[in-house]
Amino acid sequence: MPVVELKGVSKRFGKVVASSDIDLRIEDGEYVTILGPSGCGKTTLIRMIAGILEPSEGQVLIGGRDMSGIPIEERDIGYVFQNIALFPHLNMLENVSYGPIVKDMSEEDRQTIPVRYLELVNLLDRMKVFPSALSGGEQQKVALARALASGARLLLLDEPLSALDARVRMDLRYELRRITKDLGLTVLHVTHDQEEAMTVSDRIVLMRNGRIVESNTPEMMYRAPKELFTANFIGETNLLAGVVVENRDDRTLVEVRDGTVVEAQPSKFEPGDAVVISVRPERVHALEEGLNAVVRTMSFMGTYIRITAEADSEDILGFDVPVPRGRDFNIGDNVHLGWSMASALLYPRPPGGIAEAVKLE
Amino acid sequence: MTLSGIVKRFSDVTAADGLDLTVNDREYLCLLGPTGAGKTTALRVIAGLTVPDEGKVLFDGREVTHLEPEKRNAVLLSQTYSLFPTMTVAENIMFGPDIRKVPEKDKEQMLFSLLDLVRLTSRADSYPRELSGGMQQRCALARAIATSPDVLLLDEPLRALDARLRIDLRRDLKSLARTLGLTVVHVTHDQDEALVMADRIAIIRAGRIVQVGTPAEVFDEPVSPFVANFVGQSNFFTGTVVHSGPEGSVVEDEAGNRVKARPTDVAVGEKAVLAVKVGHTHLLKLDAAALKGKIERMLFEGRVVHVDVDVAGAGRFSAKIPASYRGRYQVGDDVGIGWNRNKAKVFPYPEGGLENELKVD
Repeated sequence: MPVVELKGVSKRFGKVVASSDIDLRIEDGEYVTILGPSGCGKTTLIRMIAGILEPSEGQVLIGGRDMSGIPIEERDIGYVFQNIALFPHLNMLENVSYGPIVKDMSEEDRQTIPVRYLELVNLLDRMKVFPSALSGGEQQKVALARALASGARLLLLDEPLSALDARVRMDLRYELRRITKDLGLTVLHVTHDQEEAMTVSDRIVLMRNGRIVESNTPEMMYRAPKELFTANFIGETNLLAGVVVENRDDRTLVEVRDGTVVEAQPSKFEPGDAVVISVRPERVHALEEGLNAVVRTMSFMGTYIRITAEADSEDILGFDVPVPRGRDFNIGDNVHLGWSMASALLYPRPPGGIAEAVKLE
Repeated sequence: MTLSGIVKRFSDVTAADGLDLTVNDREYLCLLGPTGAGKTTALRVIAGLTVPDEGKVLFDGREVTHLEPEKRNAVLLSQTYSLFPTMTVAENIMFGPDIRKVPEKDKEQMLFSLLDLVRLTSRADSYPRELSGGMQQRCALARAIATSPDVLLLDEPLRALDARLRIDLRRDLKSLARTLGLTVVHVTHDQDEALVMADRIAIIRAGRIVQVGTPAEVFDEPVSPFVANFVGQSNFFTGTVVHSGPEGSVVEDEAGNRVKARPTDVAVGEKAVLAVKVGHTHLLKLDAAALKGKIERMLFEGRVVHVDVDVAGAGRFSAKIPASYRGRYQVGDDVGIGWNRNKAKVFPYPEGGLENELKVD
């Protein structure tokens, strides 16, 4: 069974530390995405699991077996790259037949397996076509079928949708999850796109600077992130600097920079602690009273309008209103912004500043 | 800036097929379309880098169709930023030929404000290789702006960046353009990007502009099923118009399902397709709904949960429910599907079939 385990894995390229003491376990049949900004070390990690790179320290185990020194072709994995890598001179059926032939499968399997996987990605009618005649999305589906046809139970996807148009990407990510779940595969999917990670995964592993920041289900990563970096990276959020003035059993009271006192979730902070409040734009509302702010921009988002407002506390806050209610707001209007206590999460104020703690590049 | 009847053929491909488009002074226009629609060709024709086979390019009413690029005062920022690797950020920005004519004392002031605009003041003496992708992009942008072009042409300026960073830079880029009063044509395949950034969106497909309008217009009043689905996802219901009046229309499918829509020009008895945005589609109580189905799949997307419902005979309908409602439903539940009739639009059934009409890839 393809359980994947990383134990104390580090990788250095000269002085650059690409992975730093990574411990990670991926269960059989689990769909895990490794998410993070460019340069966070996620590609290095998947390459060490694939056997394209050897770790400087630590162990990679697949199905309980230590993989040191075992080359990629002996690890029994399917691998799909960002840049579609089909054989240009082979048609779709021949491309997908590659694995079964190399694996020396029976004549019957060589005939039936490629057809089955082309059908799974809905491209059976294109089996005699060459890669150049297919669109990017279709080519990537064939690349997936080819990776699956080798019979591997562990699938590694290295930014498989990044080269595709936004709309194609959206359709394909639903397909990826459907197909791999139907087949009961273990999947490790690397991406920089938090929306993609949220919709395809059972679990997200968020990385930064070669380390794992946090790992949890998409829902928990969005609703209750443990780290400030996670709160900002997975979905947008408003971050306000403040100081705790009172800690009650059922809520924490925080003073923001203009002296207004706002409510946040219960916490362990003491009065006087410097904190950061995180509250999602869909949780912020214009109310009778609250943070005094001036509307600066309004953007139509289809089913809602995103308004940004500059508060007296000098924080810029985004909040969402349904499209019909957008008429009630104009640029320059004064608004009072507030939220329910449960919507506001608290984090210790990072010593290097908020901007540095959530920096994306 | 006006394109009038632009035609451009490359051997067997027609990249522009009678392209008409007007961009107003100080407007931020997004040219939105799938890969291969002719977006980049249109941009290159405006810049003067591609000479059209037919048609005219006008700047302020003056024909410039055959004028060299340098004499047009339109600057194209390509997908690859092509900064000079041996020059610092400051040297790159001040490289433009027009800047060399600027008196020395004004140059410094100009550089200072440009660096501030693109938030690279602290990196003025860095070389491109020392910058992240986002910084390189902003440096290239500053260099383009430094030449004070009449029209700034951006070819997928955010494509190479991480998804999360892209969301932040959308806002920055738009406000920068507004502050400087620039006229911008921004090419993108990403409908969210276009919705957020554009004053108007021009949707291009197969070398023709199919619709031009504000984000709200193209979202709420699409001219075709293609636009309905490309700008925000839509659900489609295929059937025959059985009623049409000033209060609205009714479409019935072969299984006898009847659904309501806005008033339509499609005549009673004609084959038609009804389109309604996924974001305007609601889950209803079974007895209150015209369409009934079973929940196939629920995907957590952060602020909303995406729900796919299989309706017997009518196919898959998707809806977005607020994340706080997710506890009310689960996969396998029988639910009703419905919408406000004013959100549903009826189109004549497309000649080449619906699937072909919706193709984005």
